[in-house]
Amino acid sequence: MTRIGVYVCHCGLNIAGIVDVERVAEYAKSLPNVAVAKDYTYMCSDPGQRMIQDDIKAHKLDRVVIATCSPRMHEETFRKAVAEAGLNPYLTEIVNLREQVSWPHTHEPEKATEKAKALVRMGVARVRLSEPLKKRKVSVEKNVLVVGGGIAGIQASLDLANAGFKVCLVEKAPSVGGRMAQLDKTFPTLDCSACILTPKMVDVAKHPNITLLTNSEVVGLKGFVGNFEVSILKKPRYVDESRCVGCELCTKVCPVKVPDRFNEKLDQTRAISIYSSHAVPKIAAVNSSYCLRLKTGKDVCGKCLEVCEAKAIDFGQKPETIQIRVGGIILAVGSDVFDASKMCEAGYGRFPNVISNIEFERISDASGPTQGKILSPKTGQPPKNMVFIQCIGSRDKRFHEYCCRVGCMVSLKQAILAREKLGEDVNIYVCFNDLRSFGKGYEEFYRRARDMDINFVAGIPSDIRMAADGSLYFDVFDRGTNKLLEMHADLVVLANGLVPSEDIKKINEIFHALRSADGFLLEVHPKLRPLECSTAGIFLAGTCQGPKDIPDTVAQASGAAAKALDLLSSGEIELEPLKAVIDKDLCSGCRVCESLCPFLAIEVKNEEEDDAEKLRAEVIEAVCQGCGLCSAACPTGAIKIQQYGSKQVLAQVDAALTEISAKGGN
Amino acid sequence: MSLVDSMSMAKPNPQARERILVKLHGRELLNCFQCMKCTSGCTALKLLELKPHEIEKLVNLSLVDELASSDIIWTCATCLKCVQRCPQKASPYHVIMALRNLTVEREVKVPEAYMKAVSLVLESGLAEAAQKITTRTMQICDRESLKLPKIGTPRESFQAVFLKTLEEK
Amino acid sequence: MKLAAFWGCRILTSQYAYEMSVREVLPKLGVELVDLREALCCGDPVKSVNDFAANYLGARVLALANLTGLCDVLVPCNRCHFVISEAKHLLETDVRARAKIEDLLKEENLGYNPNIRLWHTIDLLHDCIGLSRIRRTVARPLKGLKLAVHYGCQILRYSSLGRVDDAENPRKLDELIKTLGAETLDYAERLDCCGSALMYSHADSALSLASSKLKAIQALNVDGLVVSCPDCGYMFDAKQKDGASVIGAKLSLPVLYYTQLLGLALGIAQDKLGLHLNQSPIDQFLAKVPV
Repeated sequence: MTRIGVYVCHCGLNIAGIVDVERVAEYAKSLPNVAVAKDYTYMCSDPGQRMIQDDIKAHKLDRVVIATCSPRMHEETFRKAVAEAGLNPYLTEIVNLREQVSWPHTHEPEKATEKAKALVRMGVARVRLSEPLKKRKVSVEKNVLVVGGGIAGIQASLDLANAGFKVCLVEKAPSVGGRMAQLDKTFPTLDCSACILTPKMVDVAKHPNITLLTNSEVVGLKGFVGNFEVSILKKPRYVDESRCVGCELCTKVCPVKVPDRFNEKLDQTRAISIYSSHAVPKIAAVNSSYCLRLKTGKDVCGKCLEVCEAKAIDFGQKPETIQIRVGGIILAVGSDVFDASKMCEAGYGRFPNVISNIEFERISDASGPTQGKILSPKTGQPPKNMVFIQCIGSRDKRFHEYCCRVGCMVSLKQAILAREKLGEDVNIYVCFNDLRSFGKGYEEFYRRARDMDINFVAGIPSDIRMAADGSLYFDVFDRGTNKLLEMHADLVVLANGLVPSEDIKKINEIFHALRSADGFLLEVHPKLRPLECSTAGIFLAGTCQGPKDIPDTVAQASGAAAKALDLLSSGEIELEPLKAVIDKDLCSGCRVCESLCPFLAIEVKNEEEDDAEKLRAEVIEAVCQGCGLCSAACPTGAIKIQQYGSKQVLAQVDAALTEISAKGGN
Repeated sequence: MSLVDSMSMAKPNPQARERILVKLHGRELLNCFQCMKCTSGCTALKLLELKPHEIEKLVNLSLVDELASSDIIWTCATCLKCVQRCPQKASPYHVIMALRNLTVEREVKVPEAYMKAVSLVLESGLAEAAQKITTRTMQICDRESLKLPKIGTPRESFQAVFLKTLEEK
Repeated sequence: MKLAAFWGCRILTSQYAYEMSVREVLPKLGVELVDLREALCCGDPVKSVNDFAANYLGARVLALANLTGLCDVLVPCNRCHFVISEAKHLLETDVRARAKIEDLLKEENLGYNPNIRLWHTIDLLHDCIGLSRIRRTVARPLKGLKLAVHYGCQILRYSSLGRVDDAENPRKLDELIKTLGAETLDYAERLDCCGSALMYSHADSALSLASSKLKAIQALNVDGLVVSCPDCGYMFDAKQKDGASVIGAKLSLPVLYYTQLLGLALGIAQDKLGLHLNQSPIDQFLAKVPV
C-alpha cells in the first residue's frame, strides 16, 4: 500500500496570508493513502527539509507531495532532500499554492483555500501513479565553441583556455575585437580602448588552447548539451594565412575603393586590405563583391599579385566547412547601433553635420579617418558649437522601448574628449531626457563633465533643421530655465542606442536561442539563471543578451565561461528523465512526431523487426525537453512523457472533478 | 490629500483625470516622461506659450480644474506634431481636445467661433456660410456664377440626432 | 473609376478654385465623381466641443457616401480627411461607440459601411491613378518651373492612424509635381503648420504662422507654392496680404492648388481651373508657364 506524505508550506505569509494552510493540511489527511499531512512555515528551509526526511523514515513514506511555491523555484531542492532520505527523487510532486493560488486569488481567501485543497487532492492522485526514474549520465566533450570575437568572446575564451579547456573562437569579421576595437577611449577611466583590448586580442590568437577562426560563421548545429556538432563556414580571404606578413603593399596598389566598414564608412579602404589598424590576425582579405578579378571572374587587374613578395594572394581559395564537436557553446555575437536615418526628424543621413555616436568614436580615434581630429566628417572643419542629443531610437515606443544603458555615458565621454581636444572656446551642450550615470565612478564622471564647462539642456528637440551653409539649428525647451532655446550647432552627435545584431535571427534559428520582446537573446531567468540560454548547454555573454557597458560585458563573459566549466568539467552530465518515451509496438512510423518536434529530438529510422525493415521513431534523450508536443500528436498513443502519461493526467482530472460531482454538478 | 499647488492652492481632482482618461480611448497619458519633445516642436509655443508637456503633467497630477477654465487649451493649432513625435504615445493633442470637451461640459467659457460653427452645422449642415469671392480683377463670383453644383441640405432627421450627440458625455 | 466626392465646408463655401480644378482634371484621368446628396460638416470644429458628436458626423459622411453605392470616397480637404479617419478608427476599435453611432445613424435611415475607402487628392492621383498615366496625359510640360510644396499637417500626421504619405519625409506631392515637368525643392520649414485652426480664436497668431512660412519660402526664390488643402490654401493665398501686414513683411508669392497646376499641364483653360479666383499674385506665375 502506498504511503504518501503531504506537506503544506506557509511560505511565510506568501501562501498562509491568503490560504488557510492548516485546513488544507487537515483536509489532506482525509485523502486515501495519505499517511501523514503537516503544514510548516518554510518547507524549503533546513528544518523543513529535515521534517520530510525524518517522516520518510519514521512513517515509511514512499511518495511525497509538497504544496508550496512554483516547482521552478525548489523542485530540485526537494528532490535532493528526498533522495538523501533514500527515496527516489521522482516520487515527489510539487503542488503550486503560491503562483497558482495565493498570488492570483489574493482577494478571495475562502475560494483560494478550496482551490488549494483541490490542487493537493490532484497532486496526491498524481503522485500515487508516479514511477521511480533515474537521471542518465552522458559523457561530454571538454571543449567550448565561442561565437563572436568581441571583448565578451575574447574574455570568455581566455578564461576557458586558461582553465585547460580547448576553445574554438569563431568571428565573422576578418579580425577579432568587435565594437570595443572601434572605440577611442572607454568610460569612466578614459583608458585607450585599443591599449587595453589589443593585448587580449593577441593572447587569444596565440593561446595554445584556442583555435581562432576569423572570417568565419557558424552555419549549422546538431546534437545536444555536452555533445554538439557544429558546422563552421570559413569564408575565403583569398590570402594564404601562413604566408601573409601584413605589409599592406597590396592595399597600396589596389585600384578599387571600398567603403571602410571598420571606420563606419566615413572613409574608404581598398578591395584587398587589412580590416583595421590593430587587426588580429594581421592578414589581408579580399572583398569579393568589389575585387575586379573576383567580381568578373576574369583574369583582370592582379596588381596585388605583382607586389606581394610573400606570394600570399590566392584567388583560387575556396570556402571551407569545418565540423567540430563541442560540449558547450557561448554566444557572444554582440549588437548593432541604431540606424538613425529611421528617425527622419533627427536629420541623420540628410544633413552632413549630423553624425552618430559610433561615427564620432572613429573620428576621435587617432587611427581613424581624420587621425583623431574632431571634424565634421563631410565638411572637414572643426566645430565651434557641438550638441549631443540623447535617446535616439531608445526609450521610444516607435523604435525601441528599452533604455540603451550606455548612451548617456558615451555622450559624456565624447563631450569630455571633445573639450580636451578642441579646447575652451568650443561650446558643448548635451540635450537629455534623463541622464543615467549609474555605475562605479559614473556619477563622478558626470560631475567631471560639468566641471569642464559642458552644459546640459534638460529637453530633447522635436526636430533638427539645416541652414543653407550646412550648419544645424533647432528649438529645444529646457526644463531647467523653462525657456525655449534656439540652438545652433556645426556638429550634432546623436546618441544612437544599441539594437539587436542583424544576425540575431540567424542565431535564433541555428541555436534555437529564444529572444525576449526587445529582440535580444533571452536568458532563462534574469536573477536565477542570467547567463543561460533557453537551449541547454548554451550560454550568453555580452550585448547580445542586452545592451551593456564593457565592465558588465567582461564580468558576464567570465560568468559564462564559469558556467561552461561548471557544466563540462566533470566530463559527464546528468540528463533529466522527464522525457518522451516511445512504445515501439504502438509506433506506426507515421513521422508526425518527427515533423513537430521543435528541438529536432526525434528521429524516425528503419529498424529490423521480424526480418523486415519497419520505420520506427526514436527519441534522442539528451535533446528532448519533454515538451509533450509529440505525445499529444501521436495518433496511436505510442509516445508518453515520463510522469505525464494519460493515466496520471486523467487521474488528476478525476480528482479535480470529484468534489464537484459530489456537490452535484456545475 | 497628497498635494496642493502652493501658488494657486489648487487641489488634485482625480475624478476629472478619470474623465479625461476615458475620453482618450486608451492613449497613454500616464506614460509621459517629460522629455520636452512635444513642447520643443509645438507650433503654438512661441506666439501663444502653449507647453504641451506642462498640460500632460498637470493632468497626470490631476490638477485639471485650472486647465479646464484656462485660455491655454484653446491655443493648440492641431498640427499633430506632438502626437507624431512623442516617444511614449502620450499624445498631448488628444489630452487638449479632451480638456476642451470637459470645459464645454462644465459650461465654462468657450471661444465664440466654435459655438457659432456648431449652430451653423445644426442649421445648414455646414460649418461655414457661402461666401462671395472678389477676384484680382475685381469681379465678384459665387457658386452660381461659377456654375458649380448646388449644395444639398441635410435631411429632416439630422438636427435632432445631431443635438443628441452633443449631449453625449 | 468612380468615386463619391465629399467636399466638406470650406471648399463649397469659399475655396471654389480647388473644387473647380478637381472637377476639371479628374475626368481627363478617367475618374468620375458622384456628389453626396446632402452637404455636411465632417465634424472638425465640433471635435473641440464634443468628440463623440464629431465622430458621429465623420461616420455620417461615410454613411452618406454609402448611399451612392460606391466603395471609395474622395476627400480633398486635409482636415476632413483626418477627422473622418479618426472617426473610422474609433468605429473599428471601440465596439460600444460603434453600436451607439450605428443606432443614431439608423434613426436617420443611414448605415455605416466599414469597407468604404478614404482617398485624398494626393494619394488618389499618386497611388491610384499613377504617375505614368498622368505623365502620358500631360499636354504642356511645366519645364523650368521651380516650386515649393506644402503638404499640410493632417494628411501626414499621425502615422499610426494610416495617413496619405510619410509623416517625416513625404514625397508623393513632390513626385506628382515632377511628373508634370516642374522641379521641387526641400526646405527646412517644409513640415510646418499653416496655422489655420487658430483662426477660430487667435487669428493674428494664425496669420503670423502662415506668413512666417511664406516669408521663408519666398527667400528660396521659387516660382510658386503648391498646396492641397482648402485651409492651407485659404491661409497662404486668400490671407496672404493680411498675413503680410501682421508680421510687417512684403509677401508676393503665387500660391495655387496642385489640381490647378495639374490642369495647366493638361492644357485646360485657366478660368476653368479657377485661377482667376486666386488672391495671391498668380499672374507672375502664369507668365512663367511655358506655352
